[in-house]
Amino acid sequence: MIKTDVIIIGGGATGCGIARDLALRGVSHCLVEKGDFAAGATGACHGLLHSGGRYAVTDPVAARECYEENLILRRIGRKCVEQTGGLFVRLPGDSKRFREIFLRKCEDVGIPVEAISSTKALELVPSLNPAIEEAIRVPDCSIDPFRLCLLNIRTSELRGGTIFIRHKVTEIIKSHGRCTGIKVSDLSTGENKEIYANIIVNATGAWAHMIASLAGSEVPMTLVKGSLVITNHRLTNMVINRLRHPSDGDIIVPNEAVCLAGTTSLAIDDPDLLNVESQEVDTIISEAGRMIPHFNHTRIIRAFSGVRPLLKSKKADSHEISRGFQIIDHQNGLYSIVGGKLTTFRLMAEKMVDVVMTSLQLKQSCETAEIPLDGQEELSGYPLSKRLQDMKNIVCECELVTRQEVERIIRQTGTRNVGDISHRTRLGMGPCQGGYCTFRALGIMNDMSVISPEQSMEILRVFLQRRFKGIRPALWGDQLREEQLVEYIYLGILSMEKSP
Amino acid sequence: MSVNEYDVVVIGAGVAGLTAGAYLAENGFKTALVTAGEPTACLSTGCIDVCSLDTNPMAGIKNLPPEHPYHLVPEEIVRESLNIFKSAMANTGNSYAGSPEENRPVLSALGTSKISCFLPSTMEAAPQNMEESLHIVTFTGLKDFYPGYIISRRPNTKLSEYDAGSSNTMSIASRFEEKDFFEKFMVWMEKLIIDADKIAFPAVLGMASASDIVNTISILTGKPVFEIPTIPPSMPGRRLFNALKENFRTKGGSIYWAWPVTGIEKAGKEIEAVATHSEGRPNSINARAFILATGSFVGGGLTATRESIVENVFNLPVHLPGPRETWFNDDYFSLNHGIGRAGIIADSSMRPAASPWKNIFVCGSILGETQVLKNGCGHGLALATALAAAKSCAEYLNDEL
Repeated sequence: MIKTDVIIIGGGATGCGIARDLALRGVSHCLVEKGDFAAGATGACHGLLHSGGRYAVTDPVAARECYEENLILRRIGRKCVEQTGGLFVRLPGDSKRFREIFLRKCEDVGIPVEAISSTKALELVPSLNPAIEEAIRVPDCSIDPFRLCLLNIRTSELRGGTIFIRHKVTEIIKSHGRCTGIKVSDLSTGENKEIYANIIVNATGAWAHMIASLAGSEVPMTLVKGSLVITNHRLTNMVINRLRHPSDGDIIVPNEAVCLAGTTSLAIDDPDLLNVESQEVDTIISEAGRMIPHFNHTRIIRAFSGVRPLLKSKKADSHEISRGFQIIDHQNGLYSIVGGKLTTFRLMAEKMVDVVMTSLQLKQSCETAEIPLDGQEELSGYPLSKRLQDMKNIVCECELVTRQEVERIIRQTGTRNVGDISHRTRLGMGPCQGGYCTFRALGIMNDMSVISPEQSMEILRVFLQRRFKGIRPALWGDQLREEQLVEYIYLGILSMEKSP
Repeated sequence: MSVNEYDVVVIGAGVAGLTAGAYLAENGFKTALVTAGEPTACLSTGCIDVCSLDTNPMAGIKNLPPEHPYHLVPEEIVRESLNIFKSAMANTGNSYAGSPEENRPVLSALGTSKISCFLPSTMEAAPQNMEESLHIVTFTGLKDFYPGYIISRRPNTKLSEYDAGSSNTMSIASRFEEKDFFEKFMVWMEKLIIDADKIAFPAVLGMASASDIVNTISILTGKPVFEIPTIPPSMPGRRLFNALKENFRTKGGSIYWAWPVTGIEKAGKEIEAVATHSEGRPNSINARAFILATGSFVGGGLTATRESIVENVFNLPVHLPGPRETWFNDDYFSLNHGIGRAGIIADSSMRPAASPWKNIFVCGSILGETQVLKNGCGHGLALATALAAAKSCAEYLNDEL
């Protein structure tokens, strides 16, 4: 049995942010996540650190929050933010009136913008459609959501927080009508644990209503699926937005060696049943291709969906629903925090922890906006030049990940999961999507005796099936060719069997 | 622009192209082979899968669905193609074992059994059951072979590791061709205590000398020795390619290496020439007949676009499984994805059906309805259809004179 002050359920940006905030304010806590960090909407988004421009017209409050948080994260999280800058481009036929409103609203909100000519825009981003009418420069950035979560969790770990990933909440324990703890099941071992606390925070995003229902409470939400595609290389060094009302396929974000483009927006019922339709992929490509024409011919290495946990709204077009967030006091020791955006995760955590502090009658104030994220210096030790020196031991050729790096992650985390290695090293995130390196990474785990060989076969099966789900919506051209080779390797050369 | 005259131009240097080309060259036709680069055969295990649906491959072929291209080839030609292959390989020193009446298990790098018909002699001693105990010898840091996968299925397997100074399949294989390296290795081998029934190696035991190396180790240790095929780059696949290439040249064929076909010249119902680019210089190769053996998607014979599938040399009509949504189904392990049926449909003379050309013959994995993984019929189908296409082509050339 574990006793703590606060239980956080959910290891997305919000949950990890709350853990860091509580750690800095000296409150004991325990975070429980059913998958890996950033497994929900946090990891399934553009990785865009909004300037706020996108919401200036439709949601000025959220826009202002975005801009303020953008400034803070650029300051405290240098190693997971790339200061790319962004452009809103206006294509022939796009409303000039929207442009005027956009500029005025950005000014109202306080977002620094600069209207530039198409010639200037093409100098900044030569791959842009030469037919654009003009562009507006904004301080958008790109952010690595996996690193962001890991760095937030680092602070919690350094200050005695307890973290359980791959632990699923099976029950909320109640006593005299109050939530006093949770029962969790360790998904790797099947072992059960009981954790008790004064307060439980439900930061599970799209799953918030399910957790709340365990306590007999409700969270009114609208679940909206957004799909994205990843290109095999970086087509732009700046974030590119379409200057129009928020719509499908209007954002392209450079991230490390690739670009992400999306999204779509479709209401759904079950966050565990997500599929990308071919139609969505085609829509994103043709819309993104209007801003950067080469997008139509570039190789798409994967498509995926995330679920935005939006506040319940009567608005028919989900692009129009507020990106603001809300803290719900269920009046039984359980709080839910829903809505919001990756960009505003820190603010959400701050407001949530303020409520927790009041409830616990503690006074320490929030410091998360001032103190740089812990553990960033550890991230800097692996520049490209160093990887190239170690070329002989590269196990992931697409992303230049070495055997030593994989071994270090396995030793540090004791992981039994390829995804954990991917999120920490980018192993398997390149054009072959783990086709070669997963066989190797699991082989290394095998050699290190972290997993039994039987487990490695099952993990490989699950990995291949899940990988296939991600690449299937975008299979044509060279990616189809690559996929046929990978299928030949696993099902032909290695004669891999279906699950017994 | 230079012009070259041939009786036949074969396009594609895989198992099918080199086999068809060797037959035509041997039968007195002036034969050229053009290729964009290395074939997918280099990525393969080197094993000749004829048909894995039945314990007897020849019986398995009979049970294939009626649309399968194997049915275009009479049984005696399938057998003849396998005999020709076996003797050609024996002549090059890259000999094969097996019979067309019997499928055999080959131990894969995951410890599973891959079913195949003709095996490179270096794999002949692969275990046929779970009782035989193994001693695996692997190489330090080798990044494409992890014995743990095999040990999981054969728990009584022993393991030793030799430091070959490299983590890469190809460079270890080339070191085995160095006399000093091999002598040092044999001194180390001699000290190993081996109780197991058989000794297994990842397939890195040299290039051209692999059979001799396996024999030498076997004689030294007194145990059967065999290789386990690895993921690409695969040495047994490369040895197969090299041997087929040597065989084709011995029969009198010429190879135009790194010459991708960039255009065609035609007159009426005949193709007259293929245009290629090599080192920036346009070339035109005239011939009276053409063999299309460019492979499927991986080989580069077919390209999928968002809307359709295209044959890249002659723009032949491609048999499509359906719209893009139907190319793949949800179950990755189904072995039954629609895309495996895409390709060129041939008539009984191995000419592309539904096309006007009378001097194009097509063979190998570019054919439609093959479902290579599901039916376990990769290189076997290539050999059989290549011989059938070459014979049909020879008949056409003879009639034309």
